[in-house]
Amino acid sequence: MTSYIINLLVLICVNATLAVTLNFIMGYAGIFSLAHAIFFGIGSYVAAYVALHFTGSLLVILPAAMLISALVGLALALPALRVRGEYFVAASLGLQVIGVTVFSEWKSVTGGIGGVMGFPPASLPGLSFESPTAFLIWSVVMLVLILLAINTLLHSSFGRNLQAIRDSESAALAYGKNVAMIKTLSVVFSSALAATAGVVYAFYMSFVNVESFTLDTSVLVMAMVIIGGTGTIWGPLVGAVLLMLIPSLTSYIPGLPQTEVGSIQQIIYGAAMVLLMIFRPGGIMGGKHGGVK
Amino acid sequence: MVAFKVKAMVGALALCALQVGAFAQDVKLGAVFPMSGPNATYGDLFSSGANLAAEHINADGKLKGKMSVIYEDSQALPQRGVIGMNKLVSVDKVPYVLTGFTGVSKAVSTVGQRTKTVVVNAGGVGPDLAELGEYFWNAIPLVNYEVRAMVPYLVQQNLKKVALIYVDDPFGQAIVKELEGELPKAGGSLVGKLSVPPTSQQFGGIAAKVRELKADAVYIASYGAQQFQIAKQLRDNGVKEQLVSYSAFSVPEIQTLPEAKGTLYSELLIDLAATDPLTKRFVDDFKKKHGKAPTNYVASYYNATKLYGDLAIALQKEGKPLTGTNLLEARKKINTFDFVGGKVTFLPNGTVMAPMQIKTVDGSPSGKQVQVVKAN
Repeated sequence: MTSYIINLLVLICVNATLAVTLNFIMGYAGIFSLAHAIFFGIGSYVAAYVALHFTGSLLVILPAAMLISALVGLALALPALRVRGEYFVAASLGLQVIGVTVFSEWKSVTGGIGGVMGFPPASLPGLSFESPTAFLIWSVVMLVLILLAINTLLHSSFGRNLQAIRDSESAALAYGKNVAMIKTLSVVFSSALAATAGVVYAFYMSFVNVESFTLDTSVLVMAMVIIGGTGTIWGPLVGAVLLMLIPSLTSYIPGLPQTEVGSIQQIIYGAAMVLLMIFRPGGIMGGKHGGVK
Repeated sequence: MVAFKVKAMVGALALCALQVGAFAQDVKLGAVFPMSGPNATYGDLFSSGANLAAEHINADGKLKGKMSVIYEDSQALPQRGVIGMNKLVSVDKVPYVLTGFTGVSKAVSTVGQRTKTVVVNAGGVGPDLAELGEYFWNAIPLVNYEVRAMVPYLVQQNLKKVALIYVDDPFGQAIVKELEGELPKAGGSLVGKLSVPPTSQQFGGIAAKVRELKADAVYIASYGAQQFQIAKQLRDNGVKEQLVSYSAFSVPEIQTLPEAKGTLYSELLIDLAATDPLTKRFVDDFKKKHGKAPTNYVASYYNATKLYGDLAIALQKEGKPLTGTNLLEARKKINTFDFVGGKVTFLPNGTVMAPMQIKTVDGSPSGKQVQVVKAN
């Protein structure tokens, strides 16, 4: 039982990291991205490739994953953020589609559809991450560090600028803010942090393939943020916990035929989304009236 | 003193009762199948085979305890597969787990290897599934074995020059490797190999290239909707050569496709009309329960579950507990098993050798057998 709970907690932390980093741009800058799974994937593939060919040291892997993911985020943000609102959603959807194709086709690096496995465990000087408990500690520490970093940033002038742009881009421009630069930096920061979740995930699963980084994953992470509450610190965490636990908890419903568990999960999940949007559109931790605050 | 003796006797009796209770416990196995989402149809097929085998094992009464299958929904996704696998291993404590789909199989194989839990695939045929460690078994022959069954038949039919259309992934690349090795040995040759991306659905250009190759036969190495489109578009674009493929061509959509008529394909030999008691019971009971004939997928998961039953009975006879390590040891020791379709022998890498058959698409739901290929 302990191993199962640890397993769930590690994956909740990984998904919470993704949700928190997406919430940073979605909730505080009003930038809706459908490509978060790609940054997650970049982190995973960089981890697998570097570990397989060079070293399992996180001192090398984490900066490399964050740097490459940040560069891809920059490539998306520079042209796309010169336009407003839904145009970025369309551009990010394009990146998601291209990213999945690259993950599937760049076989020498990603292993194609078959994926990559058999890479050595992650390590830090004097530490090797092999046991589930070690992964749990690592994933919790990463999540806490990222929460602290985001919280600190949000309480700086940069964070206030972000929220000003979210509330009124025109007003921020009128006040002389470099809107494009601030939005671009926020996407780069979010992309880099999302890659850390990919690093943990790759080493924990000991297997990476494209099926974990599809549009479905991007939509699931977005759902975590929306259900939990956009623009709140705790919202994405609550959303991640909820959406990761619902499928697991339904398998414990007494008397439910085992072969029907999957269908029941989908119904509960869908009904919860609809009810939440009717009665608490701002998400569980957000306001009653909904929308980004 | 008397009181002490009575207490001792009560204690001994309680211990015996506990031991009897332990034998009468459920013999559980796990299954990580897609039970919801776009691939739920496969979960239904796989589980119908596993459930029927468990029912038969329980009805036979040779197993001490009642066999039950505990399902976890993978949604055909690696992450959900690993969550389900971890639950089966650490909460339900099963020593044996059925799985399917390459991505999920690979992801759960790492948990199986780490926890010494046997993981058995009976659906995927990609050859990379043979390299997932000694706790990962394949209860059906992988596609390289199918190619080895098909090539001699092609040469025998004077279809010596073969062109290949393959999906560009580990599965397709494995077929390239196998044809490159097997055709020259049998006296044939691979005259061209044309790759298609996994998501491609337009094959007009490929058909033009195939026509230029002037091959005797065209081998289609793809799966899902794509193989359907390749066969259709080759014919629509004037390719008249013999079409050849593997067991993925046994699905009803292709069997009834007019353009696919006459295609040769290999398949695990499961003669549903056979009169051996095992096959007859499987076919009759499945028809009674579901009102239709079972497919090869159903038979494969029936076999994979029956394999667990056979191993569990053998271990119980020896008084050994049902652990992954003991199951592996027992499999290696017994090595050949009675499956629906015939005797099956395990190779050292955990894959099986089994009799195969060459069939042709004749418009009927199950195709027409043209040759039987013995396991060797």
